[in-house]
Amino acid sequence: MNRSLNEIEATAKRATRGAGYSWGLAEEASKATRWLSRQGQDGVAALAALLDKGLAQPADHRPCAADEVWRNDGDLCPLATGAFLSDCAQGLRSGPVTMQRVAVPLFILPFAANAASELRCCVRVEMDGQVAMTDGGNLQCPDVLPELAERITVQTSETAPPWRPRGAQMCPDPDSWDRLAVLAHRTYAPATEESRLRGAGAGLSDND
Amino acid sequence: MTPAQPHIPRRDPAKMMRLSRLGSLHQCRLSFMRILMRRMAQENWQFSRPVFDIDRKGVGRAVYTAMGPERAYSLVAFAHDLPAEKRSDRVIADAWDTTFALFDGIPDESDIERLAENVPLQEAGRVSQRELSLSRANRSARLWTHVVDRLASGQQPDLQQIEAVGYLMRTTAVYGSGKFGAADRDVISDRAEMQPPFQAEMLSVYLTRTFVRDLVNHIAASRGGTQAVSLDPAIARGLGIGNSTGLGMAPFIVNHPILFNNWMMVREEAISRVRAVARAAPEDVKTFGQLVKQSILSVEHWRSEHPVQLDKLVRLKADLKTLAQHLSSWDATVECPWNTLIEWSERSLSEEGQELVASLILEPYGALVDGLAGCMADGNPDAFRIDGSMPVSAVRALLQECFGWALDLDWSDPANCARAWYVSEEKLEPRMGERFEEPIAAYEQPLAPARDAAAAFSALEAWDPADTVARFLLQHPEHRHTVRRAQMGRVAPYGEIRDNTISTSVMPVDMLRAKLSFFGATHFDPRSDRWVRICMYAGAPYPEELTPGNADLWVYPETAT
Repeated sequence: MNRSLNEIEATAKRATRGAGYSWGLAEEASKATRWLSRQGQDGVAALAALLDKGLAQPADHRPCAADEVWRNDGDLCPLATGAFLSDCAQGLRSGPVTMQRVAVPLFILPFAANAASELRCCVRVEMDGQVAMTDGGNLQCPDVLPELAERITVQTSETAPPWRPRGAQMCPDPDSWDRLAVLAHRTYAPATEESRLRGAGAGLSDND
Repeated sequence: MTPAQPHIPRRDPAKMMRLSRLGSLHQCRLSFMRILMRRMAQENWQFSRPVFDIDRKGVGRAVYTAMGPERAYSLVAFAHDLPAEKRSDRVIADAWDTTFALFDGIPDESDIERLAENVPLQEAGRVSQRELSLSRANRSARLWTHVVDRLASGQQPDLQQIEAVGYLMRTTAVYGSGKFGAADRDVISDRAEMQPPFQAEMLSVYLTRTFVRDLVNHIAASRGGTQAVSLDPAIARGLGIGNSTGLGMAPFIVNHPILFNNWMMVREEAISRVRAVARAAPEDVKTFGQLVKQSILSVEHWRSEHPVQLDKLVRLKADLKTLAQHLSSWDATVECPWNTLIEWSERSLSEEGQELVASLILEPYGALVDGLAGCMADGNPDAFRIDGSMPVSAVRALLQECFGWALDLDWSDPANCARAWYVSEEKLEPRMGERFEEPIAAYEQPLAPARDAAAAFSALEAWDPADTVARFLLQHPEHRHTVRRAQMGRVAPYGEIRDNTISTSVMPVDMLRAKLSFFGATHFDPRSDRWVRICMYAGAPYPEELTPGNADLWVYPETAT
């Protein structure tokens, strides 16, 4: 079924929150999923795959800030890692960032795009030998990326590839969509008769 | 040589962003329906009704097309036979008297068939990227029956009954921006006529009002035959479209801080520009005085049963009396007369009265303020991006600036956090509940920025002030949404409500009114602390009457003189 980008963004936010992430990272996930969909990627499928990996608890899945190479004992979550990359965009001016064992590396790309917008340049992301490029508004990306990248290197690039824009992906994989809907459902409070009347605040007759 | 314009700063966000102030805002020249009406008149939009296929009982479909200089938009309307017991304004309703979609262009037969299968279902159906809005409206049972009966028997309706309600139908939801499959905002945001906020929704409601007038005439004619008369155009002109809005709209202004800032900042900028006018032309002073008289009439027509609004109306009526007295001896020839008037209002009137005066002084100065309409959309997606290089000390300073008042509040005191906002499983709509009486805290939505700011401020205290906020957020993702908002505050000084949105005394209708006032709504009638009825387009010229001469001040009812 066709989904508007607005629906994709809203569902991604609720699903990410339902999977146990903070609101701030859920916001990042929703914008990232929308950006990927806008670029013709199935961001919904990628997000569903990511959320099923259970990387929401940050301690083991975010980069240890002190390390030269971004890594941790567990696989890195691309939301926590990507958000840090975006936050540290200025650092890319002084050299590349290298990360180890990143789950669903497709999700690093929207954050690399943030960095590109911030730095007003192209950013090159190499994932186990495969290369993606973005200038913030465009993306050139291999057709298939691994579920886990052993090594990712992110750096600024002087040259831009010839962009070949793809139409937005607004027909996400239905099973992935359903999966996000199930996760989003965890954020909804069960209805009670009291909340029906009190929570929405009506209760007067409208037949007047 | 013209005298130098003095600089008069915009009013302080710390004052403007209090809930009681936001809950006292009035429409103005820069309200969205007035922006739309001005544009349509200036550009000489053409209106037509290519389809009106409604049976004698009032069931069928119609299409209304508005043709601008570059593009057309069409309201596709479906009229249904709704049993009285199913008539509910609540979002949990599943049937309505009428349902609508605003189509991007002119629909062909297959488009209309597709919409006929989906639009009557509303949330349970799907629309497409060709649709810009999805909405529905119910009859005001008391007024509808009266008007049909009268017209069918050859009489005009009773004016007192017309004034007591103000509209024949009220919309109970107008969905836009990608909801239920409709076109995303991006699809239309580059079009000049859709650039200001909510123009598609405002057009949909404007055409809905025309359809409702045509429908009531049609049903009366079907029933009364040759005996029936059409609704007197003067009476029709006074009828608006009602709207019934619940809590779902309140989180919008919290969730869109940049957008809401732009609305507030534009209005404040307009007010400061007019306050800085050094000399007022006599005709501008006269226009203002006339509109004050018309506003007195408008407020007389403003009905509410809610005790809080009743009290505010008593004070507003007293304010208008005080204002009229003041104007009778007001010397408008002094330097910056509008500024002296605003300063007087701040000393002499309630918040309702102050905000009415602030809106009214803009009216004579279209040339000075109307261009600001182009600054009300959110054209700054980059504001979402966090600047992680910012030092911890600077983030704390931003939090202090916006939420200084909240940092020392005892957020564990039940009175300060009695409420929690959540989304109900049933209709996926925002609701507000009692944190300590209902099992909702685990589902709480991030709609208490002040409380969250206090928590982030406290957590940041433990960090080296020179450290970057990127490193803080890596360890504390739970504060990420708060740091984002704090940084947005740099470009959005009016982006945050400077009040407690979860206290025991919060009135969500204040948030609803703030938003609806920017739509251009009038006659706010709270039905509870979280539910409000309003009127839209009352007094507006219908499409066949619209001219540049009447596109602007229709919102103020004509006085006898």
